Amino acid sequence: MASLLLRSGALKKCPNLKWSIASLSTTSSRLSDDVSKAVKQKEAPQITHDTALLNPEEIEQRKRLQGYITVDAQSNVAPITGQPEEHVKGRLVRIYEPAKNAMQSGTDNTGHWEMDFDTRERWENPLMGWCSSGDPLSNMKVQFSSKEEAIRHCEKNGWEWYIQESSFEKPFKPKSYGVNFSWNKRTRVSTK
Amino acid sequence: MLRTTLIKALNAAKLSPKHVSVVSRASSDVAKKPEKIEVFIDDQPVLVEPGTTVLQAAALIGIEIPRFCYHERLAVAGNCRMCLVEVEKSPKPVAACAMPVMKGWRIKTESEMTKKAREGVMEFLLVNHPLDCPICDQGGECDLQDQSMAFGSDRSRFTDIDFSGKRAVEDKDIGPLIKTIMTRCIHCTRCIRFASEVAGVDDLGTTGRGSGMEIGTYVQKFFLSELSGNVIDLCPVGALTSKPYSFTARPWEIRKIDSIDVLDAIGSNIVVSTRTGEVMRILPRTNEEINEEWLSDKARFAYDGLKRQRLVTPMLRGSDGELTPVDWETALLSVGKVLRNAGSSVGAIAGGLADAEALVALKDLLNRLGSEDLCTEHTFPMDGSGSDLRSNYLLNNKIAGAEDADFVLLIGTNPRFEAPLLNSRLRKAYVHKELDVALVGPKVDLTYEYDHLGDDPNVISEIASGKHPIAKKLKAAKKPLIILGADILQRPDGGALLAAVQSLAASTTPSEGWKVFNILHKVASQVAALDIGYTPGVDKIRENSPKVLFLLGADEAAIDKSDLPEGCFVIYQGHHGDQGAVIADAILPGAAYTEKQATYVNTEGRAQQTLQAVSPPGQAREDWKIIRALSEVIRVPLPYDNLNEIRCRLHDVAPHLTRYGEAENANYFKQAEELAKTAKSSNLSGSPIDVKIKELKDFYMTDAISRASPTMAKCVQAVLKQKQSKY
Amino acid sequence: MSSHAIRAGTKQVRPILSTDRHEARQRVLNLYKAWYRQLPYIVKQYDIPKSVDSLKQKLREEFRKNDHLQDIRVIDMLVVKGQMELKETVNFWKQKGTFMSYFKDTVEPKPKDFLSKFLSGHN
Repeated sequence: MASLLLRSGALKKCPNLKWSIASLSTTSSRLSDDVSKAVKQKEAPQITHDTALLNPEEIEQRKRLQGYITVDAQSNVAPITGQPEEHVKGRLVRIYEPAKNAMQSGTDNTGHWEMDFDTRERWENPLMGWCSSGDPLSNMKVQFSSKEEAIRHCEKNGWEWYIQESSFEKPFKPKSYGVNFSWNKRTRVSTK
Repeated sequence: MLRTTLIKALNAAKLSPKHVSVVSRASSDVAKKPEKIEVFIDDQPVLVEPGTTVLQAAALIGIEIPRFCYHERLAVAGNCRMCLVEVEKSPKPVAACAMPVMKGWRIKTESEMTKKAREGVMEFLLVNHPLDCPICDQGGECDLQDQSMAFGSDRSRFTDIDFSGKRAVEDKDIGPLIKTIMTRCIHCTRCIRFASEVAGVDDLGTTGRGSGMEIGTYVQKFFLSELSGNVIDLCPVGALTSKPYSFTARPWEIRKIDSIDVLDAIGSNIVVSTRTGEVMRILPRTNEEINEEWLSDKARFAYDGLKRQRLVTPMLRGSDGELTPVDWETALLSVGKVLRNAGSSVGAIAGGLADAEALVALKDLLNRLGSEDLCTEHTFPMDGSGSDLRSNYLLNNKIAGAEDADFVLLIGTNPRFEAPLLNSRLRKAYVHKELDVALVGPKVDLTYEYDHLGDDPNVISEIASGKHPIAKKLKAAKKPLIILGADILQRPDGGALLAAVQSLAASTTPSEGWKVFNILHKVASQVAALDIGYTPGVDKIRENSPKVLFLLGADEAAIDKSDLPEGCFVIYQGHHGDQGAVIADAILPGAAYTEKQATYVNTEGRAQQTLQAVSPPGQAREDWKIIRALSEVIRVPLPYDNLNEIRCRLHDVAPHLTRYGEAENANYFKQAEELAKTAKSSNLSGSPIDVKIKELKDFYMTDAISRASPTMAKCVQAVLKQKQSKY
Repeated sequence: MSSHAIRAGTKQVRPILSTDRHEARQRVLNLYKAWYRQLPYIVKQYDIPKSVDSLKQKLREEFRKNDHLQDIRVIDMLVVKGQMELKETVNFWKQKGTFMSYFKDTVEPKPKDFLSKFLSGHN
């Protein structure tokens, strides 16, 4: 198609499209009239100026950066999280499953694991009477879908943690409406 | 549709059943396992036992069908109709909570018919429901609000509002704890079923029919039960709310901290709700092994006692006999000087609310000073093996074990008011499993029927020898329980009683792994103190006449100034200004159970920890830290500086104290029984067996915190007022 | 009780800037040198009441604080953070007070031993 355009000289008639002739002249699509073949044509890799001007060592460095390095399996990101050391070394994290709200019968807020910190002092602000606290981690409650995830997170951040096991296991007992009306059993309900 | 958490959205694919484990009980009396039925819920096959309801089958695969009246611990009522689901080939929707599944049923919980049914039911419920959400305490944690958003229709068709309007009902006065706004009631009858089945007080019921139906006591009667506060949790709407908590806080501004209740020896799991550094309310936390989902009234409502009569500064008694507040340095230095001068003539008494860390710190300190006089306020017979063998002083068969028993013999205990949650288990077994109960002691109302065997202690020996008619039943029982109250062990012949009961327990023939002999304590610190090595009973102090007496929250007035030598210096460390602080020469303010991270051991021997919800008021500090600071001032520093280290020390003393949540089995019953035969006082005195807490009015104020609580005082007044009414 | 699981073993991760310890060390040393050379100008520019020697001491102290780190990526991140701080300092984007906060002059030292902590407050 490109060759057709060039041969027909149609572009010469459009003065604003002078640049297009030059670019068309070097495209690989000029070399084949069939567009589908042009698509399959393999082109030489484009070398931008920053890669073209590199030393061999630098090229090697770049290659190495695409690869992998070996580090300890247990990473500790505490120095770079920006947390003051007293809040890393001095805090205790509790990993637990939040309890269902006793006032409701829905369980959507349960079934996951949460992590929170030990409570520190709260006092009344002398100016306005608001509740002040000196604890930056007082509202830090992170949710996880499993216990192991929570433990990994705490280990990574360098916090001391403990697990609060919850006993949610309830033995299954099928319920029956008929026992409310049993003839001689104590399950006979006096309040129908 | 509704905002779901990121975690839920990501894990939507693996919807696993939450906390419903089909724990098949390997019970020896089931001959063959019943054939499981297969049903399809939303095209997912489930294998369930025959007799399971549709709602339970759906819960097994994690599908929650909305409901108001169904509660898994109460009988099925089926009157709210919110759980209607479509079953294929059935013309009408089926009430999932009541209908047992049939083989091959296909149940659709998200079909058109189901959705229409839910919208319809919700519409009817909201027709007569007042627009009280802004002033209702349940707002934010209301089942009706949440289910109307999730399952209700978006617009109202209630045109009748312009004509006859909504129904209104008068409020009923059922006590100082429960606030009733009966207009909001949706007649789910959960409160009625709870009162009748679990609490055993058949006071609530329905009167009238249709839209004129009202729930209440019909006559002016208070709903007085030790478990009455649980109806507040059960009520799905704001009809029954907590009177002390009313209009104080909203659930979204509350911070929740898991903790343990220490006002009785059961150690019920609680959630302490705080806001701006004060305790707003206490709710129960589910723990199948201890308190299920219930909480006794004292545990629930005594939190306002935490704000009254608090000791907030260290105090010293001046020369004029008045206590004056001082700062910590002065207090520690003066107390330290007295301790140094006393040398090894120091004694200590631990009260009912002392935690294990403080107990171990005090014991370490006094042992380093050369004294062994550490006592608890409540006596326990030390003859025979005394507190050396744990099985002597624990509730060996655990609280959950009370459910499986087939015969229970209560000796000298009123579990209804000493341990309401144990009593609710006994009642559960009584209703569902045909449990027989016999009681030796004063005739008390236990909310279930029992054989009253009189209050003569010789009954025990009669049963043991087989002469008593009940002895046959005890022998035949495969899972008998003998529960001995800690009260009667305080008598002078306590040792003989203990020996007699132990031999009685040994003569029974229980099934494998079943423990017959149990002790029910009344205070939260007793088991921990006995585990750590305290001597039960203050007789040792009376004998040794120490020059300095350290009271660790000792408020039961077990010992007073007349028993102590002239010039004895009394140091009181506690959180309330109760009877111990009155006789003290120095006061060191400690922290209450909501203000410290501490270990408590319940009557089963299960160690649990309370967590810090608020900080101790004023200058108060944590108990073990005060003792550690004191030890440093007198130059015998204790080797622990932080919580971890003192818990390591606890682990050294008794490893189970740091294994939270597990109750280890104690053994050596045979050896304990043989050693008990060598008891000093081998004769039972003829005095009748009595319990201290016989009635509800004695239940409410038993320790420093509940004595300081105005809500508990109102409860006692209500009980006395109720006595005078003719109902 | 809390427990620290000592997990042996290593893992393969993508690097941030350096691919081995030698390179990371070079980066750290370059950063140190850059800071070192800037110190006299800092004293002049910010007009702080500290001598260049005390600044040098502080610099050494800050670098020594992290000398126990093994993970190359953490070292790289700290180097990047150090470079950011240097840039802010050089371009006078900080103020005197911001710079002096490195010395924590106005921060009262918290009590460390048990009795002082007990007497001063709840924690």
